[in-house]
Amino acid sequence: METKKQKLLLELSINDESYELAVGPQETLVEVLRNHLGLTGAKEGCDTGECGSCTVLIDGKPVLSCLTLALNCQNKKIVTIEGLGKEGAMTIVQNAFLEKGAVQCGFCTPGMVLATTALLEEMPAPSDRETKKALEGHLCRCTGYNKILEAVGLAVARSSGGSAGT
Amino acid sequence: MHLPKFTYLNPTSMEEAVAFLKEHPNAGLMAGGTDILPRMKNRLDVPEVLVGLQGIPWEVPSVRPDGSLAINPLMTLDAVNRAPLIRERAPVLSDAALMVASSEIRNMGTLGGNLCQQTRCLYYNQRHSFQFMEPCYKRDGDRCYFIPKGRKCWAVFMSDTAPGLISLSTEIRVVGLEKMRTIPLEELYTGDAKKPFALDPDEMVSEIIVPEAPGSRGEAFFKFSLRGGVEFAALNVAAVLDMKEDRKTCAQARITVGALSSSPRRALKGEAALVEQELSRDLFFEVADIVAKEITPIPHHGFSAAYLTECLRVGTMRVLESATERIRRKK
Repeated sequence: METKKQKLLLELSINDESYELAVGPQETLVEVLRNHLGLTGAKEGCDTGECGSCTVLIDGKPVLSCLTLALNCQNKKIVTIEGLGKEGAMTIVQNAFLEKGAVQCGFCTPGMVLATTALLEEMPAPSDRETKKALEGHLCRCTGYNKILEAVGLAVARSSGGSAGT
Repeated sequence: MHLPKFTYLNPTSMEEAVAFLKEHPNAGLMAGGTDILPRMKNRLDVPEVLVGLQGIPWEVPSVRPDGSLAINPLMTLDAVNRAPLIRERAPVLSDAALMVASSEIRNMGTLGGNLCQQTRCLYYNQRHSFQFMEPCYKRDGDRCYFIPKGRKCWAVFMSDTAPGLISLSTEIRVVGLEKMRTIPLEELYTGDAKKPFALDPDEMVSEIIVPEAPGSRGEAFFKFSLRGGVEFAALNVAAVLDMKEDRKTCAQARITVGALSSSPRRALKGEAALVEQELSRDLFFEVADIVAKEITPIPHHGFSAAYLTECLRVGTMRVLESATERIRRKK
């Protein structure tokens, strides 16, 4: 089929910057982020929606960029881990992860931090159960999750019910 | 893993979507993409054309003049879980939507997609480039790796939202090009693992209609899975109990069991044992035994049939107790 060469010109808003690029319909958001834009924060783990390491925020909600077609992201606000904090000025959630040692190999960390950020935006003081429910889609093979839960607790305490986000 | 190449069509209304489906009978239909895209990555589906539904606007649920609740199938599972009208009128659906996979998937996947997800099997849902290469029944082959003596496909239908909706006597509206029909949700499922849905290639679910509760009602959902989150159900059970005016005697009961066979199944004998009876723990034990005897599970994903039967007994007990608890709390 000649239409298989279909390419579309997209305008994506990522971390408050606008990018214009041509992508094929089969390209997922994580492929575009990593391969076209050099934003390698979102990780390609299982690539089938089981591990959560490719999580990004679209319009403030955590979604899996490996199962999101890039062409469906027009006119949406995408935030990746690169969009949280600046060098030398990390967000409360990032600092809490650092201090509690909730980062080991780092593969799950971008997803964990983004999901935590989205959780605290919506629910400033989540219970342990609510935190676990929000992070259940993120697999971590290093920390045993305890340090991650401690880090979320610290972020909650620091933001003291206020906004913990960007 | 890369997706295979395809042409993407982006309809802006359901009418346009079914017109595209008519034009391309082998097209894939994608709502949230959390079911079909992994299948495409594994090359289980390689449609030349993908019709995406994400450009179609949807409205929040509404109560129709006859008191029934109309839900758009394009609503995400997260939105279904949060919708106050659904929580109030169909709490079993609200609960079930929260039990599906992870928060990321619930932000993407839709209710219609959850009802129309493909059947699954340990051997089928993977890449076939280095093992199990000879196609099985589901891939139009001549064997079943899972139950080698079984002369058909034994894949399991694992939707978490279907059992609750079936217990609520839900009807769905199905649109096709120049046709529209309303059928009970139960009739959407053929029971044939290879072709699980009674839909023509150009048809899609356009509305989900939950009838109004006749009176006092208790409903509950139970899902058992090994890891909790991000896991398909080992089994799930949903019960809806309609009570008589004394709020103690059961007028009508519907129990639906999911993830134990190629379609959700009603436990009709268990339901009959509840009707005209006063609800009690002893009765629930009896009913749980009847349900566990009535439904023979397909041993799937590493669970033996005996284990699943025991889980079914416990699950039935729990849904009946929580449904009763709901009736008690609703003063």
